[in-house]
Amino acid sequence: MILTLGNPQLRIFRPNWFLTLVRPGREQPPDTAQFRIPMEMTKYDVKNYLEKIYNVPVGAVRTRIQFGSNKKRNHLNQKVKQPDYKVAYVQLAQGQTFTFPDIYPEKDQVVAEGSMEEMQEKFMEDEKQRQKLDPRRGGVTEWFGL
Amino acid sequence: MAARTRLPLLFPKNLPPFRNQKLVHTEAAVKEPAYPPIVHSVTAKSKSALRQKALQHVQKICASPVEEKLSLVTRIQRKKFVVYPQSFARHADRWYQHFTKTAYIPGLPEKFTLPAGDESSPPAAVPGIEDDAFADLRSMVTRVILQEHWHIKKRKPFMYREQEQVVGPMLRNLVTGLTYSLAKHNPLFLLSSLDVNPQVNFYWRRGERIIPRGHRRGRLEPTRFQIDDHPHSQIRITQQLPQFTPLEASYAAEVPEITTAPNMMPLFRRQYDNNIFTGAKLPDPACYGHTQFHLVPDRYHRDRMARRQESDQVEVFLRANGLASLFAWTGAQAMYQGFWNHEDVTRPFVSQAVITDGQFFSFFCYQLNTVALSVETDANNPRKNLLWGTESLRLYEGVKDGEVVGLNDGVIKLLVQFLMNQP
Repeated sequence: MILTLGNPQLRIFRPNWFLTLVRPGREQPPDTAQFRIPMEMTKYDVKNYLEKIYNVPVGAVRTRIQFGSNKKRNHLNQKVKQPDYKVAYVQLAQGQTFTFPDIYPEKDQVVAEGSMEEMQEKFMEDEKQRQKLDPRRGGVTEWFGL
Repeated sequence: MAARTRLPLLFPKNLPPFRNQKLVHTEAAVKEPAYPPIVHSVTAKSKSALRQKALQHVQKICASPVEEKLSLVTRIQRKKFVVYPQSFARHADRWYQHFTKTAYIPGLPEKFTLPAGDESSPPAAVPGIEDDAFADLRSMVTRVILQEHWHIKKRKPFMYREQEQVVGPMLRNLVTGLTYSLAKHNPLFLLSSLDVNPQVNFYWRRGERIIPRGHRRGRLEPTRFQIDDHPHSQIRITQQLPQFTPLEASYAAEVPEITTAPNMMPLFRRQYDNNIFTGAKLPDPACYGHTQFHLVPDRYHRDRMARRQESDQVEVFLRANGLASLFAWTGAQAMYQGFWNHEDVTRPFVSQAVITDGQFFSFFCYQLNTVALSVETDANNPRKNLLWGTESLRLYEGVKDGEVVGLNDGVIKLLVQFLMNQP
């Protein structure tokens, strides 16, 4: 919470705020993590939140507000607003680095024996093989010849 | 060859002179080319025409005098990154090292002796200064410190104006006093010029990026940088300082490579006049730099940073400041001599800087070995610029009852050595 002059510093002990760690759209330096934070949070709030609740040493925090577009229209031609959100770029202290992990890694398809997928794959392979030319012709087309 | 030449039946006694042209000690007659060299046309709508235009522009700049060179290099205004030497960004010195292709070497070159930590042995005398002269300098320094902190009846300085109102006058008195006293030992200072609150600007191009959006999308664009620095004071001299290490020694140095865009530092872009300025205009005879003195900004507090566990950033800030300021100054000096991106410096340009916040002094030495930082010229350029720097050294502990407590002689000696540097 921001300190206003004359009033005592407000302290929150059980904040109702939740941070979302997101993958950065642009390439960020290795010590930077990107969060989506509620609009009411400030840089100092983010720093205290991460340091006290999660024990993450925070160096510097920079925030910006992303405007959600108001351009799209629905079937009634009314403008549909996408919500605005605040983004925080948190630079970690003590030389720590962070890279956003790969949440959806590609799995190697291991096809089970005797199942539909295996038959389909075999069929597709046979079709592709039929489309290819005779290998004995050595890449020459079939336009001419017998 | 002998089998092919047909010798006459009667072997003549006087052989004609040597027919074989490929003898070592004679040269074939040099033939002047009868036609001008064939170059790509400039007016065609082709990639080779663009290359030819760029080449002709470079040749035009190389062939013109220095003022025209400067104006041609800084003519076109485009969006550029404004590099502030006093930057609070984290790891600013690594970013700046990447932008200016500088390697950092902790400590100072062998010429200067660093004051040892807490040894009680008396420091060795500075060559050229006797003990009496050194005692005079010491008393002058105490006088300057006491003047600002003890003798003058001052109100408490305004918020965030302490540096400007207290340390500024103290540093000015110190610099003027030191240069005046050392003028008899260092003949350079008789013809030098001491600027108060000068302006130093430099403009250069470093990397490249592909433009993501806009009507120029997909094309390569060089990233442009501009430094606008206002040191507290600087000394400019008529002769150049000697180099600290030979050019070839910089080939082995390491420069940190950063792959992310400068935007992430954070660094912002603006478009305005591209300036290159050392502190005086071109015709000034004192065109080479000697020492710069910098004040730390008012929002920089060591104790606050220590409370926030940012003690390592303290040194990072000072290093980044020294690096950027000195690079701008030496680069501008080199441009004033006619060296630019495509015509690299033939001799290294050397300058020194002292950054202080009143109590702590940090000393930096910079050697500019290359100005060729853009992509085409940097491809095969093994030279790197070098920065030597110290940690911050305390000059005095405090002021009590009209006495300066804990005056560090080593720091004064180092200051004197810095100012005594001459070719």
